[in-house]
Amino acid sequence: MPGDIRPDWWSKASAGAILGFGLALSLVGLYAYLGPGGINAPGGRYSLMRYLEAFVWIAVFGFCFLFRSGRAAWAWLGAANLIAFAVLFACRFYFFA
Amino acid sequence: MIRADIVKLYKTVHTWTGVTCGFALFIAFYAGALTMFQEPIARWASPPAVGVAAVPLDDAPRLLELVAAAHPEAREEGITLHLWGHENEPARVTWEEDAPHQEGQAHEHVHWWATLKPDGTLLAKHEEPSELADFINHIHMRVGVPEPWGSYFMGVVSLLYGVALISGVIVLLPSLMKDLFALRVGKNLKRMWLDAHNVVGIAVLPFHIAMAITATALSFSHELWSVQETVIFGGKQAILDNRDNEPYRAPKPIGEAAAMMAPSQLLQKLKVQVPDFEPRFMIFKNIGDKAASVRVPGAERGYVGDTHLGGVMLSAVTGELLKDSTRPSRQDPDRRASETFYGLHAGQYEGATITWAYFFLGLSGAWLFYSGNLLWIETRRRKARKGGEAEQSRSTRLLGSATVGVCLGCVAGISVTIVAAKWLHGTVADLNHWHELIYYAVFLGSVTWAFAWGAARAVVHLLWLCAAATMAIPLTTLIALLSPALGMWAHGSAATIGVDVVAFIGALCFAWMAIATARRVKHGPADSIWSIRKPNAVPDGSPVPAE
Repeated sequence: MPGDIRPDWWSKASAGAILGFGLALSLVGLYAYLGPGGINAPGGRYSLMRYLEAFVWIAVFGFCFLFRSGRAAWAWLGAANLIAFAVLFACRFYFFA
Repeated sequence: MIRADIVKLYKTVHTWTGVTCGFALFIAFYAGALTMFQEPIARWASPPAVGVAAVPLDDAPRLLELVAAAHPEAREEGITLHLWGHENEPARVTWEEDAPHQEGQAHEHVHWWATLKPDGTLLAKHEEPSELADFINHIHMRVGVPEPWGSYFMGVVSLLYGVALISGVIVLLPSLMKDLFALRVGKNLKRMWLDAHNVVGIAVLPFHIAMAITATALSFSHELWSVQETVIFGGKQAILDNRDNEPYRAPKPIGEAAAMMAPSQLLQKLKVQVPDFEPRFMIFKNIGDKAASVRVPGAERGYVGDTHLGGVMLSAVTGELLKDSTRPSRQDPDRRASETFYGLHAGQYEGATITWAYFFLGLSGAWLFYSGNLLWIETRRRKARKGGEAEQSRSTRLLGSATVGVCLGCVAGISVTIVAAKWLHGTVADLNHWHELIYYAVFLGSVTWAFAWGAARAVVHLLWLCAAATMAIPLTTLIALLSPALGMWAHGSAATIGVDVVAFIGALCFAWMAIATARRVKHGPADSIWSIRKPNAVPDGSPVPAE
């Protein structure tokens, strides 16, 4: 990453907290639909998903300060959220409806 | 190589997440370390009772029959038959009944136990068991904040704790090889504390990663659950949940009488059908009915996880296996993975080695947060001194007082409330409520004391309080042994004596810390918050009498 890294505490932290949670939910949601057994897999899945969500959430929040600026954090993570949620809702309302 | 500006940035992240969460994490880790011995503490705190041994397992059928006949609600809701004979099992048989309440409202439960009198008739009593061990677990989970705020609060703390771990590693990475195995003991106290903080943090990192992830998931459990339902499953989760609970549901009574199989025979039948299963206790439902059943929670050799969730259900009439999908080896892969995560959090490997390892890992975690706060204060002091200020800034002093008050207040509060289990038993009406009152009184008192006296003085007072309160645990047992007239008790089992021995060693550690800290307070650098000397006009290091 060339150039100086800006602190942008509040915008980066809010991106990590909010968009990190969104990314966690949508990615783990994809596992619910695309994982072995699909959406009707036995009930252990949504218990396990809590832990996976926490893992992704912490990872995104922790590493989001590496973005060059708060604006970049919101842009990249926002785009990732859009894509992940689009695929998730495609699964929920179209492919596995 | 990591760029210097990134390291600098993450140093700030680490400092702020650490300092804001350090208090709550200290309490969670200290109380959490103690919950590794939740069962021994529950046994230590349980008054002598009739006990399981009063009714041999061979006489259990008669006892169960009498209870089912006299207590229809228990017959329907479940009667627990105990097998182990530990001090926290008041009698062979126990059950819970709903306290009087409005339909559909939250309510308390009344706890009953029952035994056989020498003439073979039923003796049933309602008596509240000690909830001391559960209360310590509550402090661990919610650090004393009332629900639902306690869960939200600890969820946020756990999340930030994860961020603190990531940032701490990023900060340490560039100098990892240089710093890791260098514990520079010597004149530079701050360097030594930082080295120790780093070595403990890195060595125990896998444990902390597991804790941060699982604690975040467990604290936000309800919230994650409902968001998953709304966003991902869209109504399916309720259906799956219902299917998931099926293995726990007892068959409906059919109203036809039948002879029950004796519990000892049922256990034999269980052993034949599921050889590796280790039963904890048995819950009978609908005794006397042809569809009577018994659920047996327990662990399975070779599998980690929550033993309360796993189990099997047998017919209480024939001993035939009715439901067998919740014990570990029959769980679906997702459930198994989830249970393994939970096992990682709770250290549930049914072995003494891991229990002790988790105990010390928990204590080391508590120390990590305590030392982290102290390092921040010390850095502030150095910066201030470079800037030519002789006095500590207000925020530094306040953080010092808060660290001392909160951390040591938690330690002292838990010890005092443990001691109260024996002294107050039989003298107060609602001992479980008193446990809470005592803990909060000592905790808040310590925090107030720390702010009133300042960190340097209060830390010595409070460490002595911790030492005294913790020493009172084995002393109470000793006093109970020497003067039985006081109505206290001293159990002889290894587990309860273990509680006394660990408390004794812990008290000695606190006393040693009190002595060492008192020395630093008198002779350490005067501009530190750990000094009671006036900073101006006194050259560093020269011994001067305390004011």
